[in-house]
Amino acid sequence: MSEHAIEIRDLRVDYGEFVAVKDISLSIPFGQVYGLVGPNGAGKTSTFRVITTLMEPTYGEVKVAGFDISEHAQEAREVIGYMPDLAPVPSDLKLWEFLDFYAQAHRIGGRARRRERVEQCLDAVDLTEKRNDWAKALSRGQTQRLVLAKTLLHDPQVLILDEPASGLDPLSRRDLRLTLQGLANQGRAVFVSSHILTELAEMCSSMCVMNQGKILASGSVGEVRAALGGAERKINVITLGQPQILAQWLEDQPGVREVLAFEDQVSFQFTGSHEDQGVLLQNLVSRGFGIRSFEEGRSSFEDILVEIAGENRRS
Amino acid sequence: MNDEAKEFQTKPFRSSWMIWTNPIVRRYARSRLRFTGLGISVLLMTLVSAFVFFVARGGGVNFLNVKEDVARLPLIPLLIVQGIVLFGLGTGQVAGAMTSEAGEKQLDYQRLAPMKPLAKVLGYLFGLPVREWVLFLSSMPFTIISLVQGNVDPYYAIQLYAVFIVAGVLYHLTGLVTGTVMENRRWAFLSSMGIVFLLYTVIPQAAQFGLVYFKYLTIYPVVTDVMPHLAPRMIGRFAQQFQEIAPQAKFFGLDLEQFIVTLISQGVLCLTMIVMLWRHWCRAESHLLGKLGALGLFLWLQIVLLGNALPLIENGEIFTSREIEQRLNSHLGPVFHGWKPYIWEATLMVGFYGLVTLVFLWTMALIISPNQDTQLRGWRRARKLGDTSLPSLSDPSTSFIWVTLMSFVGVGGWYLFARGLIGSHWFSGNSLSSMTIVAMLLTLLSGGWALQAILETKGRKAAGLVAIFAGIVPAMVAVILIVSGDLMTQAVWIAGVCPALWPLFGAGAFIVDGGLPKEVASSIPPAFWVWQSIAFVVTVLLLVKLRKSRAKISKSSVNS
Repeated sequence: MSEHAIEIRDLRVDYGEFVAVKDISLSIPFGQVYGLVGPNGAGKTSTFRVITTLMEPTYGEVKVAGFDISEHAQEAREVIGYMPDLAPVPSDLKLWEFLDFYAQAHRIGGRARRRERVEQCLDAVDLTEKRNDWAKALSRGQTQRLVLAKTLLHDPQVLILDEPASGLDPLSRRDLRLTLQGLANQGRAVFVSSHILTELAEMCSSMCVMNQGKILASGSVGEVRAALGGAERKINVITLGQPQILAQWLEDQPGVREVLAFEDQVSFQFTGSHEDQGVLLQNLVSRGFGIRSFEEGRSSFEDILVEIAGENRRS
Repeated sequence: MNDEAKEFQTKPFRSSWMIWTNPIVRRYARSRLRFTGLGISVLLMTLVSAFVFFVARGGGVNFLNVKEDVARLPLIPLLIVQGIVLFGLGTGQVAGAMTSEAGEKQLDYQRLAPMKPLAKVLGYLFGLPVREWVLFLSSMPFTIISLVQGNVDPYYAIQLYAVFIVAGVLYHLTGLVTGTVMENRRWAFLSSMGIVFLLYTVIPQAAQFGLVYFKYLTIYPVVTDVMPHLAPRMIGRFAQQFQEIAPQAKFFGLDLEQFIVTLISQGVLCLTMIVMLWRHWCRAESHLLGKLGALGLFLWLQIVLLGNALPLIENGEIFTSREIEQRLNSHLGPVFHGWKPYIWEATLMVGFYGLVTLVFLWTMALIISPNQDTQLRGWRRARKLGDTSLPSLSDPSTSFIWVTLMSFVGVGGWYLFARGLIGSHWFSGNSLSSMTIVAMLLTLLSGGWALQAILETKGRKAAGLVAIFAGIVPAMVAVILIVSGDLMTQAVWIAGVCPALWPLFGAGAFIVDGGLPKEVASSIPPAFWVWQSIAFVVTVLLLVKLRKSRAKISKSSVNS
C-alpha cells in the first residue's frame, strides 16, 4: 500500500470561468486526522468531490491509497469513505435498512455478517436504539451520525468528511473527535473539512488552509499559524492591582504591541515564540507584578480567517 | 485493513445481469414493496383486473356462442390495463424518482458504491418500477385464465408478452434517461409519460409517410399480428383482414416476423439508452453519447429506415392510400379499382424522410456538441498535458466533423429513399432533378452546422431562442396568412424560413412535377433556393464565428 493516503498534484477545478481549485498539491499520510479549513467557497468541497471520484477535475493527478483515480476509480472507491456536507438520507428506509443496503453494495457478504456489521456501526454512533426508526424522522445531528455510520460501514482506509461536525451537539462533537482520532490511531487517514478553525484544531494533527482555490498554508497547526503570520496572539493578563504600571513595563518588552489596560486587566498582542511567552511570564512574576491570570485570548489566527472570509465577501 | 474488516469483505460481486442479487433492486424492493402500500396497490389492481375480466366475459356471453370466444374477450382490455400500469405509471415513477434521487444527492452515494456502472443502471431500471412489475404480475392470473380457457396457442401469447415486457423495459429506460437529464421531479414524471403517449399516438403515424420503422417502437405490430389468434374468432377474422392489408415486416431482402423486427428495433434502442446511462454513471459530466456512438446510431437509423421502407415500394405497401383503399374495399366491396399512388403522396413522403433525418441530426448535435465551459476545461487540460489540440473523440472537442459526417450519411439515406420512391415503376412520368443532391446537402449541412455552431458558441438557450424565432414564428405567420385568405404565395415564402420545413420544401423543389397544388408548386422551388442560399451564407458566418471562438478559448487557456 502507498505511503500516502492521499496525494494531490497540480489539481485544478473550473466551473466555466470560475476557478474553484487552482493548481493545489497536497500529501496526506495514513494515521493522521488532517484538517482542511477555509471560508465558504474556498474550494474545499470541490477538492473533496474530486478525491472521491464524484467529479472530474480540469486537470491534475489524484491518488488515493496509491490508486490513480482517473485510471482506477473503482479501486479508489473501495478504500474511500465519504461523508458529504448536509448528507442526505432516504425517507423511505429505516436506519438498519439504509445501512444494510450499502453493506450489500460494498459486498459485505452474508446476511448474518452484514447484520453484525450494521449493528456494530449503529452502536459506534450510538443509534442502536433507533435501528427500526425511519431515517427521515432523525434530527440533524442524528442524521449526521447515521451517515457517519454508513461511511464507516465498509471499514474504509481513507475517510473524507465534509463538515462532519455541523449540526452536532457538544457531546456528539466530542464523541466524533474521539472516534476520528481513534480511527487515525488504527492507521487510517481522516481528511476532514470545516470552516471553523477551533473545531479542526481540536481534532487534527495537521491541516491546510484554503482560500479562493489556493492553499495558503499547510503543516502542523503551529506551522500553519506561523506561515499565515498568525504567530501573533492576543494575551490577557488579570493583575492583582496596578494595571497601568504593568502596561508601561510591557510596552518596552520585545514582541509586545498594542497594550491596553482597563480595570484590572491588561491585554496585548505578542509575536514571540512559545518559549518567549514563558520567559515573559517568568519576568512578570519575578518583577513582583501580582498576576491572577495569564492566558491566550482568541487566536489572531482565527482573526486572519475571519478577515479572509470578509475579503472574499467584499470582492 | 484490519482482520475484522477483511472478514467482512469476502463475498465476490455477482454478475450485473443477476438482477435479483442487485443491491439497488433489493433496496427498492424493500421500500416499495412494504406490506401496507403494496397490499393496497395489489388490491386495487386485482379489483380493476377482476372488473375488466368479468365485465368482458359477462358481456360476451350475450352475443358469443362459443365458450372459448367468451374466454378470450378479456385479453385485450387486460392488456390495456397492464400497459397503463407498466408503461405509464412505471415510466413516470422511474423518471420522477431518478430526478428526486439526484436532487437529494442520493446519487452521489451510489456513485461511490463499488458496483459496476452496468449493475447500477440495471439496478435502477428494475428497482425503481418494482411495484409496477408486481402489479403487472398480479393481473396476470386473469390473463392466464383467459389464455387457457380461450385455448390460445401459447406461441402467440409468448410473442405478445415478450414484446410487451421488452417495450416496458424500453419505456422505463426512457424514463431513466429523462430523469437523469431533467432536474424537476414533476416535469420528469410528466415528460416521460408524455414521451410514452407520443410513442403510441404521434410517432407511429410516421409509418403513414413510409417510415415503417417507427411503428416497431410500440407493441402495435405484434398485437396486430397475434390479434387473430387472441380475439374471439369472429373478431379474429376481421383482424386478419387488417393484418393482410397492413405492410409486412421486411428488412431489405429479408422477410421477418413482426415479432422479431419489433424485438430488434426496441432492443437496439434499449442498448443505446443503456450506453447513455452507463456513460453517465461512469462520469456525470459526460455527454450522453460519444461522437463515434452518435455517428453509429445515426447510421443505424438510416439503415433501418431504408431497410424497412425500400422493400415495400415495389408492391405499393408503403403507400397509405393503398391501405386506405384496400380497407374500404374490404368493408364496402370492390368499390375502388386500379389503385395507383399519388405523386404528391410520394413528394410528402420524401420530404418527411428528410425531416426525420434533420431532426435526428439536430438531436445528435445537441448531445455531442460541447458548450464553452466544456471546451475551456478541455483546453486547459490539454495545455497542462502539453497538447496543442483536443482529442477529436473527446467531449470537449468540436462536433463539426461529426455533424458533417452525419449530414453526408443523412443525404445518402435521403437520396436512396427519394430515388427508390420516385424512380419506382409507380412514377415513371416523374424524376428527381439534377440538383437533388445539392438541395439535400444544403438542407442538412446548413441545418446541422448552424445548430452546432450556435451550441458551441452561445449555448443551448441561444439555440432555443433561434428555434423559436426562426423555426416557430415564421410557421405561425405562414398559417395566419393561409387562413386569412388568398395569400398562399406569401405564406410559402415566409414558411421557407423555418428550418424544419426545409426538407419538405426541398422535396417540392427537386421532385419534377411533384403533384403539389399549382400555387404552392410554383412558389416552393424559388423560396427553397433563396432561403437555402441565405441560410448557407449565415451558416458560413456562424462557422467563422465558431472558429474565432474556439481560437479565443484555446488562447485564453494558455495562461489562465
